[in-house]
Amino acid sequence: MDIKKVLNEATKQIERCSSQQELQNVKVAYLGKKGKITELLKSLKDLSLEEKKSTGAKLNSLRTDIDDLFKNKFNSLKVKEINSKLKNEFLDISFPPPNLIPSKVHPISKTFDEVISIFGSMGYSVAEGPDIETDYYNFSALNIPENHPAREMQDTFYIDDTDKDNKPYVLRTHTSPVQIRTLLNEKPPVKIIAPGRTYRCDSDSTHSPMFHQVEGLFINESTNMGDLKGTLIEFCKQYFNVQNLKVRFRPSYFPFTEPSAEMDIAYEIVNNKIHLGTGDLWLEILGCGMVNPTVLENCNVDTNIYQGFAFGMGLDRITMLKYGLTDIRSFFSGNLNWIANNGFSIGDY
Amino acid sequence: MKFSYSWLCDHLETDKNATEIGDALTNLGLELESLTDYSSYSKFVVATIKDFHKHPNADRLNICTVDDGTKTYQVICGANNVKKGLKGIFAKDGMYIPGTQIYLKKGKIRGEISEGMLLSERELNLSDDHDGIIELSDNFENGTSAIDALKLNDPVFEIGITPNRGDCLGVRGVARDLSAKGIGKLKPLKYEKITKLDFESPISWNIENDNNSCEYVVSRYFKDVKNTASPEWLQKKLISLGLRPINALVDITNFITHDLGRPLHVFDADKVGKKLHMRLAKPNEKILALDNKEYTLDSNSTVIADNNNALAIAGIIGGESSGCTEDTKNVFLEVAIFEKDSVAKTGRTLGINSDARYRFERGLDKKMVIEGLNYASYLINKICGGSVSKNIDSGKLDTNERKIKYKFDYFEKVIGIKLEPKKQLNILKDLKFQINQSTEKECDLLIPSWRNDIENNIDVVEEVIRIYGYENITESIPSPSDDEIVKINNSLINKKFKAIKKLKKILISNGLSEIITFSFHSTKAHEILSGDKSLKISNAISDDQSFMRNSMIFNHLETAEMNYKKGYKNIQIFEIGPIYNTSQSQENILSMLISSQENTNSIFKSEDLNFYSISNLVYKLISSLNFDAKQFNISRSTSNTFHPGQSAELNMGKKLIARYGKVHPLIIEEFPKLKNSYAIELFFENLPIDFISRTNSSNILDSQFQFSEKDFSFVFEKEQNLFEVQRYVNGIDKNLIKNVEFFDLYESKDLGENSKSVTFRVTIQSKDKTLDEKDLEQIHNNILEKVSNKFKANIRA
Repeated sequence: MDIKKVLNEATKQIERCSSQQELQNVKVAYLGKKGKITELLKSLKDLSLEEKKSTGAKLNSLRTDIDDLFKNKFNSLKVKEINSKLKNEFLDISFPPPNLIPSKVHPISKTFDEVISIFGSMGYSVAEGPDIETDYYNFSALNIPENHPAREMQDTFYIDDTDKDNKPYVLRTHTSPVQIRTLLNEKPPVKIIAPGRTYRCDSDSTHSPMFHQVEGLFINESTNMGDLKGTLIEFCKQYFNVQNLKVRFRPSYFPFTEPSAEMDIAYEIVNNKIHLGTGDLWLEILGCGMVNPTVLENCNVDTNIYQGFAFGMGLDRITMLKYGLTDIRSFFSGNLNWIANNGFSIGDY
Repeated sequence: MKFSYSWLCDHLETDKNATEIGDALTNLGLELESLTDYSSYSKFVVATIKDFHKHPNADRLNICTVDDGTKTYQVICGANNVKKGLKGIFAKDGMYIPGTQIYLKKGKIRGEISEGMLLSERELNLSDDHDGIIELSDNFENGTSAIDALKLNDPVFEIGITPNRGDCLGVRGVARDLSAKGIGKLKPLKYEKITKLDFESPISWNIENDNNSCEYVVSRYFKDVKNTASPEWLQKKLISLGLRPINALVDITNFITHDLGRPLHVFDADKVGKKLHMRLAKPNEKILALDNKEYTLDSNSTVIADNNNALAIAGIIGGESSGCTEDTKNVFLEVAIFEKDSVAKTGRTLGINSDARYRFERGLDKKMVIEGLNYASYLINKICGGSVSKNIDSGKLDTNERKIKYKFDYFEKVIGIKLEPKKQLNILKDLKFQINQSTEKECDLLIPSWRNDIENNIDVVEEVIRIYGYENITESIPSPSDDEIVKINNSLINKKFKAIKKLKKILISNGLSEIITFSFHSTKAHEILSGDKSLKISNAISDDQSFMRNSMIFNHLETAEMNYKKGYKNIQIFEIGPIYNTSQSQENILSMLISSQENTNSIFKSEDLNFYSISNLVYKLISSLNFDAKQFNISRSTSNTFHPGQSAELNMGKKLIARYGKVHPLIIEEFPKLKNSYAIELFFENLPIDFISRTNSSNILDSQFQFSEKDFSFVFEKEQNLFEVQRYVNGIDKNLIKNVEFFDLYESKDLGENSKSVTFRVTIQSKDKTLDEKDLEQIHNNILEKVSNKFKANIRA
């Protein structure tokens, strides 16, 4: 029996196969129940023990070799067949993408988020109050009595409905009433920020009847004006991402703080763009001050023990400054082009 | 408030220039809003048109030969007042023209060279006048600078005065504050007191007792005056403020109003009765004021009246009938103290913003009453001649100085820096506080008569730091305490903002863009959506913003329509913000609008927009907030915003969680381009916030054993709520029924009008073993029997 001859023959036959079916037939002819190899193995039983051993080992090795040949051939035939099939499955991968408006969050959302996070890292939790306020919370409790000229600094929207003091409700002109609501509900220490919608009847490129403010309030036994300065400078450095930030605090007046200040940031025009933090020009950024003891007393806070500061800033304004936007009205226009150009995609939000 | 540098120097002896003074003003809290400084105009010079002829190629242009004293230039000029000998202001090649904001460049105009420009007032930013070039009236020599020729050597300050600083509503008050800051020395007021007061005033005063709005009034009568145009110095001062000179008497009162901050009024004495009253107006009493408008008063306003008529609205504006004209022969000067609230209220009610009201409602220096009377008398007498009466007054002027006990250490407590008592006292002295008694710890202060705003210790601290300088406050950053961090972590509002951020991220990754619209509704939206009447804005700017919105859907449809007009056919937007149910109830919700009007791309097909696709988005959102929509109750929405048959509400107990579906066709009538529009309102504040932000997931153990699936078909009544069926099936065997998924719904005439066929697949799996045929059959039968009994449903083959 010439094992080598059998192997050569099998190799030739396997090579010749061009389909999996053909190959299967050849496989049966060799390795099937009545296949050549099977028959040869069967014939072993007629041999002597010694011959059985030596021929058996050779035959087994032959079977393994042929089996491997079949496996390899099967694989290569499979790849060939699939490849030829794939040729008919080619799509036009160059079909251009549909025109989608990139979906983004509004820049104000980004600012809300950053403000909450920066002040959060300084220990401020978030507080809220309603947009439709009573005259008392929006004005009187904040030391702005009726007929006070300061009321005319803020053009107020009134609602055609009266509160329990028989005063018309107002749309809050600032977020400061949240100071009152919080102090009436919580005992000091109080350390909050209150971002939200505010309203004044005014409309041009820098004024919108609706805009956003954030209020800050920090009351405890010792908080002073140095803390106020440090806190606000730190906020601006982080928010505007400018480490060497030139700022100035100058005296101002708000009925609910005393001493009161306005904070300005230096800027200069470089290549027709505003560059914040350096230069000789000043941009007003926020109003602040030590909470007027009258306000604390209105909230039943003992002014012999407690004191602190408050601040308020326009969120639309700081957003406009940070991203170089010029018309506040576009914030509320709903123009999807504008949102797509100025908003933030999920990775940046 | 506006004033010129030279006017300030009438009151302040200083060596500081305008820029330094501007900085000091801002540091004092008198914010410099603008400083008009013309020093850069010295480069523009007087020049004469020596000759001119028509431009050969342009009808309207002339070619002028211009002499600036050193050289002649060829200048092409389009002005219509070009003439030989005209003296104007000339700018040469390369100079910056402030009015047009461009640099001048030598070049050809229609083929002819032009070497410079003769300027108009607008080109120099002096006025809006562009009707020809400047024509100098005086005979200046060529080459004289524009500053001298146009008398521009006096910079003008405009400062913002906060409502507490009524004392700085006169130039003198500003000078006084500057002197406290060390910017010069306050000069004494320079005028001569009139000593010859030799007759009794024929007109007398009566302050009626029925109101307290006038504390004191004092007057003088001026006989035989000659009212003329004011002298040039006075006219120039008024012009520098932007005021129009009228006649000497009126100009003097205006001048003193702005110079001393002391408003006063002159009556033509021959046009008023002999007895003048301070009284409340009669209901509907009318007065024609100096602004030529007729005002109808109510009984809260105080008027100055004779026995017959109201002559002036007290502290606000004079009357036309009693005003001084060039023919005035006899004058009655009135200086009074009116109560500020009363003036503020009347002024606001009538909508009159006068210089007098502005000052009265901020409170006046009572000591300035007599000073103002004397100063005005001097000026009237000097300019208009005649003789002056003795004083005639009524009421009592309370000039008692207010006292305060000030503790020095309060400064350090509030400001955070140490300042020795001696230094604090020096500042207070500079501010003209009188120090009566002083120890190491405290002092007794007399408050200056002009500082009505100072009442207590904190006011004094503010004064001290204002002068000492905010820049000297040392900064510190308070570090957050552990308690504060714990509070932030537990704060429900902080958690809510986190949830909102999460929602926004999900929405933008689903292709929705965030918009922010006004909290308002138009009248039309309000009517269509029938909102609460208490949400009307009484002083709305426009009809489009006349109510508070009770839904965002209308605003979003308007937004969608606007974007549709820009070419966006498919719109997916959302807003997270407030809606208002009444003036006392506000909810923050998420509102989405998805509007699809076109689906033409046959390659990139977008999902069909219908009620079910919208529902799916709702379920996804709710699941992203860690809730399972299946646990809520579903019902048809009764809101008139939605299509009644294609909208739903999800409720948790009595709380509305979501409302969504097709926008009601009646609303879409207003937006015919947006037929296929769906809205979702998610009332996320009604969800227990704590769950939204939970971080640890619940422990559902994965079973190791084989599961089995079985489909069931039932015929239910048409209105059968399938959420209930699903919950019921889930509850039949909580240990074995893992999942119930509805996947087919079928309605047909064969089933009957009032029926629907529904198919769902139940996944059955045990935690303990592989279920055998018998176990499964038992549970299958159980489901069949219980569902058909419970819901009167027929089993379908």
